[in-house]
Amino acid sequence: MSSNIERLLTYVDEQYPQFNQGIKESIARTPERFKYIADLFLCWALKARGNGAIESSVDAFVQFTTDVNLAQARYEATGHYENKSFAELYESHYSQKSHMDGYLWGVYLTNFLWAHHLEISLFFESRFLSRLPKNSSIVEIAPGHGGWGVWALHELNDASLQGYDISASSIEIASSISEAAGVKQRASYCERDALDLKSLEAENCDAIICSFLIEHLENPTKLFAIIQKLLRPGCVAFVTGALTAAQIDHIYEIHHESEMLKMAESQGLRVLETLSTNPQRLFPRAKFIPRSMAMLVEKPMSRG
Amino acid sequence: VGILSRLNDVFQEVFEDDELIIEREITARDIEDWDSLMHVNLVLAAEKEFGIRLSSSEVTSLKDVGDFVDLIEEKL
Repeated sequence: MSSNIERLLTYVDEQYPQFNQGIKESIARTPERFKYIADLFLCWALKARGNGAIESSVDAFVQFTTDVNLAQARYEATGHYENKSFAELYESHYSQKSHMDGYLWGVYLTNFLWAHHLEISLFFESRFLSRLPKNSSIVEIAPGHGGWGVWALHELNDASLQGYDISASSIEIASSISEAAGVKQRASYCERDALDLKSLEAENCDAIICSFLIEHLENPTKLFAIIQKLLRPGCVAFVTGALTAAQIDHIYEIHHESEMLKMAESQGLRVLETLSTNPQRLFPRAKFIPRSMAMLVEKPMSRG
Repeated sequence: VGILSRLNDVFQEVFEDDELIIEREITARDIEDWDSLMHVNLVLAAEKEFGIRLSSSEVTSLKDVGDFVDLIEEKL
């Protein structure tokens, strides 16, 4: 393991030993790819946030994961997500910098510290990025921390990316990571509601990344309509969503994998590949299995 | 009955282990099944046992059984 990964593991063991087990599971899933992705993400975090970045990002990750586990426990007890209104969450969360900064850095580390999210990362790398031409024009809808899109630019030397997010903190953090990764000239971020993107020029991008946005929307089918509009024919989008997985800002409950497929297909997209994963460890006697699902969807060359 | 003793009952119930004996110095390193999920389970069970409510940042700050006992004492 690299010194950055060792530093992270030591800090977790000293401060949050209850997280050792989950992280060991992630490493064991695929040690070589864990190392590659963790090194990339930690290196960018250090450049973006300075010397204490690993420790402060772990603090954020632990807080985020604890909040997720508490939300899932409440979901098990009540049978429904806690919130329903996007507008209310915008006021209480997405527009609050102090909340969003910690939240986004916490989510950033889940890309490799949660074993089932590491699987999603590997799917992104092996099934999505591998398809894209080096000079792809990419749109990232709701980049959040920006790690997915920056990773794409890191792998695709001549690609460019335009990211849109409703949160000012997202724009700031994604921009800082793109600068840290040395791809700032090829990435631009704009504060804008994802569902407003329907006014953008049609068929203007070669690829779309939209990671874990669906469950934050009141009507996610509209998101697939926007993806369908923006993609050039024959091009693909990487879309992920959370199923029966509670978080304070998840408002749209998806119970079955087929619901995501149907949403995409109802808007004229073709589902090429899917991956559904879940954590190995669940609450005892859990009624809900929290899953993360990734899909590759294509805009067909011609409808029908 | 002291807080540590009542908390011991909570630990035994959550980990389904009647033989489990906790001390202030015990951490997640000492109990095999004490992971991040069980940590939340412990908190929820302790909240019920002691009639208290912990914030998520308090939940995160608990490093060992001693922290747990001190926080419960503060809340009572």
